[in-house]
Amino acid sequence: MKTKNIDNYTKWQKSFERETKIDLNEASSETDEGIEIKPVYTKADIENLSFVDNDSLPGQLPYTRGPKASMYTNRPWTIRQYAGFSTAEESNDFYKKNLKSGQKGLSVAFDLPTHRGYDSDDDLVMGDVGKAGVAIDTVEDMKILFNDIPLDQMSVSMTMNGAVLPVLSSFIVAGEEQNVNQNLLSGTIQNDILKEFMVRNTYIYPPDPSMKIVADIIEFTSKEMPKFNSISISGYHMQEAGADNVLELAYTLADGMEYVRAALSKGLDIDDFAPRLSFFFAIGTDFFMEIAKLRAARTLWYKIMKDFGAKNEKSLILRTHCQTSGVSLTEKDPYNNIIRTSYEALSAILGGTQSLHTNSFDEAIALPTDESARIARNTQLILQNETGVTNTVDPLAGSYFIESLTDELSKKAWEVIEEIESIGGMTKAVKAGVPKLKIEESATKKQAKVDSGSRVVVGVNKFKNPKEPKVDVRVIDNNRVRDDQIKKINDVKASRDQKAVDESLAKLVTAAKEGSNLLARSIDAIKNRATVGEVSKALEQVYGRHFATSLSVSGVYGKHFEGDEDFMNVTKKVNIFEKENGRRPRVLVVKMGQDGHDRGAKIVATSFADMGFDVDMGPLFQSPKDVAKDAIENDVHAIGVSTLAAGHKTLVPELMKSLKEIDPKSKIIVFVGGVIPEQDYNFLYKNNISAIFGPGSNIIESAEKVIDLISDKIHKNN
Amino acid sequence: MQLVEKIIKGERAAIAKAITLVESSRENDKKESRKLISELLNKPGKSIRVGFSGPPGVGKSTFIESFGRYLVEKNYKLGILAIDPSSQITGGSILGDKTRMIEISKNPNTFIRSTPSRGSLGGISIGTREASIILDAAGYDFIFIETVGVGQSETMATNLVDIFSLIVGPGSGDELQGIKKGITEYADIFIVNKNDGDLKSEASKTASDYKSAISFYKKSNDTADKEVLLVSAIEQTGMEKVIETIQNIVSQNKKNKNFDDRRAKQFTYWIEEEVKEIIQFKIQKKIKADSSISQLSQKVMDGKIQMFEAIEAITENLQNK
Ligand code: B12
Ligand SMILES: Nc1nc2c(ncn2[C@@H]2O[C@H](COP(=O)(O)OP(=O)(O)OP(=O)(O)O)[C@@H](O)[C@H]2O)c(=O)[nH]1
Ligand SMILES: [Mg+2]
Repeated sequence: MKTKNIDNYTKWQKSFERETKIDLNEASSETDEGIEIKPVYTKADIENLSFVDNDSLPGQLPYTRGPKASMYTNRPWTIRQYAGFSTAEESNDFYKKNLKSGQKGLSVAFDLPTHRGYDSDDDLVMGDVGKAGVAIDTVEDMKILFNDIPLDQMSVSMTMNGAVLPVLSSFIVAGEEQNVNQNLLSGTIQNDILKEFMVRNTYIYPPDPSMKIVADIIEFTSKEMPKFNSISISGYHMQEAGADNVLELAYTLADGMEYVRAALSKGLDIDDFAPRLSFFFAIGTDFFMEIAKLRAARTLWYKIMKDFGAKNEKSLILRTHCQTSGVSLTEKDPYNNIIRTSYEALSAILGGTQSLHTNSFDEAIALPTDESARIARNTQLILQNETGVTNTVDPLAGSYFIESLTDELSKKAWEVIEEIESIGGMTKAVKAGVPKLKIEESATKKQAKVDSGSRVVVGVNKFKNPKEPKVDVRVIDNNRVRDDQIKKINDVKASRDQKAVDESLAKLVTAAKEGSNLLARSIDAIKNRATVGEVSKALEQVYGRHFATSLSVSGVYGKHFEGDEDFMNVTKKVNIFEKENGRRPRVLVVKMGQDGHDRGAKIVATSFADMGFDVDMGPLFQSPKDVAKDAIENDVHAIGVSTLAAGHKTLVPELMKSLKEIDPKSKIIVFVGGVIPEQDYNFLYKNNISAIFGPGSNIIESAEKVIDLISDKIHKNN
Repeated sequence: MQLVEKIIKGERAAIAKAITLVESSRENDKKESRKLISELLNKPGKSIRVGFSGPPGVGKSTFIESFGRYLVEKNYKLGILAIDPSSQITGGSILGDKTRMIEISKNPNTFIRSTPSRGSLGGISIGTREASIILDAAGYDFIFIETVGVGQSETMATNLVDIFSLIVGPGSGDELQGIKKGITEYADIFIVNKNDGDLKSEASKTASDYKSAISFYKKSNDTADKEVLLVSAIEQTGMEKVIETIQNIVSQNKKNKNFDDRRAKQFTYWIEEEVKEIIQFKIQKKIKADSSISQLSQKVMDGKIQMFEAIEAITENLQNK
């Protein structure tokens, strides 16, 4: 530092300490990532950076400042809203309306049965059809989904991973039957299976065959579909599951490396497929950190691809889609969410995203209504048209803070990437379950911060709205959707050439056994009108279905509350309960149906155990019948159903019925947590649900309520 | 007693409640539990009790799922008692073994109960023995008991089960050195799991390590041979060999009376334990109520009498009360 700068700094420090009465050394704060944030940054902070090159410009390596030289000055980011619900007909309608109102690209949300490779008529998915996305059973549905949407002009992104073969095949065949050749199709298929095992939970097959499928798709598209992104390597879901930004960034890039290796093992040249790898990140509320993350991601990917020996410039550049964070949005005082989303959107743009989804304010209640979706879209239209953010590229470059943070984040992420590489890459790490556990640990810490009030969430643990507004909710009648879908499946099955279907499925099975490319075979089967479920099941014969083993963190929540009065109050109650009843309160926490949101269930389970409960943890995807058997055999006091994907109105009554079937005198209390619109509370209470814990529930308070309910019930019975 | 009938009829809820009773730490429950167990002992079933122990994460639960699937397909009824460690700090627990027993837990011919260890010694929880009697009376063909760790092999093998098996993973040879004596003595079967994929060669090597280790074991003529088996829980291989081995050991031990001897010894041990517990409980009550103890100890402190005199006086006193 020059002497003048040193003088200035000393003066500033004095003033700072006088104003705050805090020693500067103690004035830093620490982020979730463990990064120190100082009260002020100076030129000195950007003098010796490890990853960032201060002299580089947008579109120049290491691409910190953006993948393109002109960025939004030439063309703004693509407004790409993720949506889908109920039937193909209804979703198609919704898409067309949105496109008329300024949306630029499509992004399809499939329902959970489709994700997991089950047809709508499968008994296992009774509560889930059309509920959390659009149901697609055959290519006929896919054709309806894109009715009047020309696939040679519209870029389409599809979030599909587990059932990626039949769904991508349906898309290709739908195009073909619209007279659009596959080489003209543009868009993205998510096709990122590693993060499914980690956090998103819509896997079907075990990790190794799943990785083969990913590689098959990269191979096929690199040859036949030059305009199509073969994969969207996603960190988004990790952050939503609770990862901090270092974990999100590092695990995503480590996933990317694993996919590159999988594709190379097919004998492809890196520059043949790398330009079509795309990324997807979440943008949460930590404003500057999120900006730094996108800049760091590009910087690190450049290094990684260089090390892989990529030569084509396009291979070296990370292009990304972003979505604002859903988990930052609250059920309480929901209009606040519009504001949160706006700031997050601005972060994404200052970070230089290529496309963006902004969430609706009713995120923590149900799928968006037409109205809430309109406001979400307008958030981006206003940014593009009114704020001037598109007029200059990477406006924060040169900011001491942003550049230093970008570098710091890069360093931390690089350490984690090296850790994963040292154990043999992400597939191995995922099999061992380590990344999932790290993310759950991070999620549990975040929950503890909110529950203890050390992190403020406006309208939830501070500044509560005394008069909560009533909001409209999108209601989906899954029974009607299911009936419609079953009818359509039956029609297709009645009119198809069964022999051709059987033969093409047999060929698919042979290809799986031989190890040849599966996408081409799957396209044939779909063309012959095999269903999504039939294609998935055919492969299941060869690969089997994957069941995840789940590990649990322990002690993380409790540690945050050492000496906390409310916390100790609950542990005291638990101890008294044990003395009186000869055992601890015992609660079975379950997930039913195809709902894979396990963040809440895992956090609640570990926190309850930290408060002294005995907690039985059920696996994912249980049927109500299985849950009842588990609950009764373990003689639990209570069942806590965690439900987020809107299956509750079907699955909870089923559970109550199953309990009574096994034990007509069952005294097990049932309560429900997760995303439940208030409109459904009465329905649940009428079904003898004892309590409902919605998004934002304080876990210590919930635990107290649960133990009180259990004690009451025992006293009443005596 | 109505509960007994329901258990014998195999009513799931009744079995579950009975297990809760025998696991209870409440004094009243203990009495009732003893009564219940006495009645059930008069109506013994035909179960074979097999223990599965091993270090954390070797795949015990996964193995039980896989082996269990194999057995229920052959129409056997399975009772499973899985003991999970409780947290030392909070006393609570996360009972997650069932997330690894997904298929068998759906099957109507299984009964799966997880139990927190509650800090009890040896990883076996209070009531495990009684719980296995309940499942026996309820008509389960096999009772599998899963516990973590190898340290408690002795307790488990000698006190609780008919056959004790140790599950290990590939490459646990080093561990073998330290615990050789204990395991060669107490385990009837060594199951080397994860014999799949990249781990195959390591698994075979581990198996031969174990084979040579048990060859040192001096076998008395009439006991069944110890076996080392290679399995993959994930790929469900080696299962027929496991059931064969179990059945061989059982029939051989039955032939030469070892089977009944073992059970008889366990029974004696159990009675002893129960008696100890009851006496201990009574004495503790008396000690609490006995004011002379503190007086005598004060005298020791004051140098008026010797410590051994005080102890003898107190013991005498308690015995006479
Ligand atoms: C995080 C998240 C994800 C993550 C999940 C990661 C994971 N492993 O859990 C990711 C990104 C992977 C994801 C994916 C999807 N999601 Co999502 N997701 C969310 C989100 C944003 C937050 C949920 C969350 O984890 N919150 C944090 C935890 C701690 O809170 P919680 O679970 O609510 O639990 C609290 C309370 O509810 C209560 N509680 C909950 N359970 C229990 C149990 C007991 C015993 C007790 C006492 C208390 C209790 O206490 C907890 C602590 O406060 C919600 C919207 C929202 N803001 O709620 C959408 C949401 C649930 N997702 C939705 C959808 C549609 C999906 C997808 C199906 C999209 C698609 N079509 O592909 C996929 C598929 C996922 C799958 N496999 O099921 C919809 C569901 C729609 C509906 N209900 O009508 C929601 C509501 C968003 C929306 N409005 O569209 N999602
Ligand atoms: N490769 C391989 N992995 C296995 C096998 N069996 C279990 N595993 C894996 O080993 C891990 C632990 O399995 P569990 O069944 O939970 O082991 P456990 O011994 O019951 O563990 P604790 O009850 O926690 O002590 C999981 O990730 C399993 O998927 C197997 O046969 N082969
Ligand atoms: Mg286990």
